[in-house]
Amino acid sequence: MPEQKTIKFEIVTPERIVMKEQVVQVSVPTKQGEITVLPSHIPLVAGLMSGVIEIVKEDGNSEIMSVSGGFIEVSKNKVVILADTAERAEEIDMAKAEEARERAKKTIKELRHFDRERFANINALIAKEMARSRAVKRWKKIKKVD
Amino acid sequence: MANTRDIQNRIKSISNTKKITKAMEMVAASKMRRAIEAVLKTRTYANLSWRIVLNLSQTGNGNGEQTLHPLLTKRDKVKKVGIILIASNRGLCGGFNSAIINKAHNSIKKHAKQEKPEFIIIGKKGAIVKKYYDYDIAAEFPKADIISEIKEVLPIAKIVLNDYLSGKYDKIMVAYTDYVNAAKQIPRVKQLLPIDITTQDEYLGIVGKDTRVGIDKEFIDKKKEKYSQNEKHIYEYTFEPNPREVLDEMIPRLIEVQLFQALLESNASEHSARMAAMHQATDAAKDMVDELTLFYNKSRQAAITNEIAEISAGANALAE
Repeated sequence: MPEQKTIKFEIVTPERIVMKEQVVQVSVPTKQGEITVLPSHIPLVAGLMSGVIEIVKEDGNSEIMSVSGGFIEVSKNKVVILADTAERAEEIDMAKAEEARERAKKTIKELRHFDRERFANINALIAKEMARSRAVKRWKKIKKVD
Repeated sequence: MANTRDIQNRIKSISNTKKITKAMEMVAASKMRRAIEAVLKTRTYANLSWRIVLNLSQTGNGNGEQTLHPLLTKRDKVKKVGIILIASNRGLCGGFNSAIINKAHNSIKKHAKQEKPEFIIIGKKGAIVKKYYDYDIAAEFPKADIISEIKEVLPIAKIVLNDYLSGKYDKIMVAYTDYVNAAKQIPRVKQLLPIDITTQDEYLGIVGKDTRVGIDKEFIDKKKEKYSQNEKHIYEYTFEPNPREVLDEMIPRLIEVQLFQALLESNASEHSARMAAMHQATDAAKDMVDELTLFYNKSRQAAITNEIAEISAGANALAE
């Protein structure tokens, strides 16, 4: 078997380093749609949306993370994600994520008149919580737990 | 020798001072702990993002223009420089404020041949640049003692970006104090705009690294080599959807992060400096009390000896 090519992967948020590892592939939700980065990818810079990041590690296992906005920089054999927030799927409390989303949706329904900024904030929050619960679902599917 | 009562009063007053400085030391220590926690949390993010943006800074856009974004373009003629100075709100923090102000002043003297720079001050004590060196102050922002949210730098970032883009300033520097450890803080001046890797080393500052020029030396050297050898254009990045859109969003965000980080570094440094200063004050007070106690005892004993001498002299006189 030929030696497996890997790429350095790092994801950081203002609070912490979420993950730093050698990986085989990374899929991220950019503003233009989901992309998958493999080793020797051309240098790229793009903005991220809320969504699910999936990486495949050297041993073939995948990891799922939720992310809400940020940037990705792919340089020579290195992927850096500067995320606004990011969490590993196993750290997310599904029930809390759902609850938070419901709460945000309710706020948006109840408050008919508020300024644009607040509306955008709440929408971003909904997108974030949705990404979190999607990440958990995907993770459960992969790990075959329920 | 001074009067016993006088010495007693002094001892009392110094002990009170000592209590106060001790309390201030404790307060500073607890604030410092929080500030350090905050600064370490965001440091990786700040450093990484600064690297990315420095990486991008010299990428050409392919249509003959030198850089991809106005915020990355060096201006041919630097007329006016804006300096963001991060100082403290209150004094009693040792050389913290004078160190950063001197650093800013020296680097202006050394490099600036253009018009007098203007200062944007964060923290009350920064205002003395006007008094001491007669620099103009363009704006003054309050500073919270505990900084927790990036929101606090947003107005500053906005002013700076607008003034830069409108051409009021041709260069933006930020003067802050880099937190190395509780005993060591380095004042530093960093070039914020335009983002430019070819500027003097000392202005590139990646925060938190303890080297003389204050950078991740290896990283800079590597870059330098690359750019000088290959006439720039090493990394031709692909941007999605396009450079302008990505950078329009990315650079202001990263500037905010840099400012926020500088503020956090300064804050951690300030509290450390204050703690150290107060610790010294407490020690000095303790020494003084010890010394005065010695004097006090001596003078007390002298008084007693005197009395005894008088009494025995009196007794002797009677006996004769």
